[in-house]
Amino acid sequence: MKVSIDIHVNGERYQKEVEAQTTLLEFLRGTLHLTGTKEGCGLGDCGTCIVLLDGKPVNSCLVLAADAGGRKVTTIEGLAVDGKLHPVQQSFIDNSAFQCGFCTPAMILSAKALLDKRPEPTEQEIKQALGGVLCRCGSHQKILAAVQAAGKGEK
Amino acid sequence: MIRLKAFSYYEPASIREASEILTQTNDKAFPLAGGTDLLVRMKRGVIRPAVLVNLKRITGLSGIENENDGGLRIGALATIADIETSPLVRKTHPVLCQAAGVLGSQPLRNLATVGGNIGRASPASDMAPALMVLQARVAAQGRSGSRELEIDHVFAGPGSTTLAAGEIMTSFFLPAMAPATGAAYLKMGRRSGGGDCALVGVAALLTLEKAEPGTARIALSSVGPTPLRAKRAEALILSGKLTEERMRQAARAAAEEAAPITDMRCSASYRKEIIEVLTYRALQEAKQKAQGGKAA
Repeated sequence: MKVSIDIHVNGERYQKEVEAQTTLLEFLRGTLHLTGTKEGCGLGDCGTCIVLLDGKPVNSCLVLAADAGGRKVTTIEGLAVDGKLHPVQQSFIDNSAFQCGFCTPAMILSAKALLDKRPEPTEQEIKQALGGVLCRCGSHQKILAAVQAAGKGEK
Repeated sequence: MIRLKAFSYYEPASIREASEILTQTNDKAFPLAGGTDLLVRMKRGVIRPAVLVNLKRITGLSGIENENDGGLRIGALATIADIETSPLVRKTHPVLCQAAGVLGSQPLRNLATVGGNIGRASPASDMAPALMVLQARVAAQGRSGSRELEIDHVFAGPGSTTLAAGEIMTSFFLPAMAPATGAAYLKMGRRSGGGDCALVGVAALLTLEKAEPGTARIALSSVGPTPLRAKRAEALILSGKLTEERMRQAARAAAEEAAPITDMRCSASYRKEIIEVLTYRALQEAKQKAQGGKAA
C-alpha cells in the first residue's frame, strides 16, 4: 500500500510516495540516498540509525516513513553549514573520537541534541544522552572528551 | 537487514474512526503509537498485522495537565520522555518521572508512549508498577462509549489487556498524592541507570499518618505473567510500626508472593532474591521521601 508523505529532511522539503512498511531509515538511505544514517541491529538496540525528529534523537529503524510525514528530520548530512562542519563534528575529529566510524553519525547527532538543550552538560548527562548508541570499538572515553570539548566551545 | 512485511496503513483523525477500523479488521489490526515495541515484534515475526492504525494523527491525546486539585491527567500518547521531563509530573507525582527515566534509552523514550507501554501489557513494563502504586485510572474509548478502569484491572495476561476490540486508551488519571506520601521505583537491569529490560522492577508508596504507615502499596514487574500488587507485603507494612525489621519482613513477603520464571535474562531464584532487596530499598526510599513532608 502506497502512502504519500510530505517531509522535511535537512531543510529540504520532499513530497514522495512510499510503501507503508518503509521505515524512516530505509527512506533516508534508499530513496534520498542519505547513507550517513546506518542500519545496525534494526531493532532499536544499537542506536546507529539515530536521526533527529523535530530536534529529538530517535531510532529511525523504528519509525515508519509515513509516520514521519509533516515532521522535520535532521541527519548527519544536515549538520555542516556551507561546507563548515558543526562544532561537534569538528570536535570529534580534533579528539580522534572514532575508530571504525559506524556509530559516529548517531553519536554526533545525540550529542548535538543534548548541547542544543544543555550547552554545558555534566559528564553524567552526556553519558545518559549517548547511552542509546553502542560503540563496539570502545571509543567511549574519546567520544566523551569530544562532547565535553564541544560543550565548552574548545577547538 | 530486517524488513517489515507489507500491511495496510491508516491515519484516522478521530478515536471513533480508529475504533471502527480496529473493530472491522478484528485481530489482524494493531494500533500504532510509539512503535518501539510493535515494529520490533513485527520485524522479529512474532506478530504479523494486516493493518496498522496510527493513532498519532488524533489530536488531544498527548497532553499532561493538572486536574482536580493535585491530580494529573496524562494523555495516552504522551511519550515516556514527555513524562520524564515534565515539571508538572515531577512536582505532583515524581515517582512516575523516576520510572520513565529508566525505561529504555533516551531515543526510545522520545518515541515510546505511556499508552503503548501499558497497552502492550508486558510483564516487564516499567511504567505499570509506578502507575499501580499511584492508583492510576485508565480512560478508554470504544464504539459503545467511554469508561474508566483501574490500572490494576487492565492486565489480563502476558501481552493481553481487558480492553475490548476497538477500545482505545485515551488518558491516565493520577489522583493527588496525600500529604506525607513518598514513593519510589527501583529497577534491576543488566546495565545501571536503565536502558534495558527489567529483570525485576519494584514500586513502593507509603503514606505516613502521625509517623505510622496509613497507606502502603507495592507493585512488582517482571516477576509474574502481569505486573502485580504485593498485597501480603502491603498488609504486613500496615500491621504495626514502620520498623526496619517490618520493612525487611514485607520485602521477604513480596518475594514469596511473586511468581517469577527462569528465562534468558536470569533465573527465578535470582529474581526472588532481587525482589526482596529492591522491595526493601524501595520501601526505605519511600519512607524517607514521606518523612521529607512532601512527595519529593
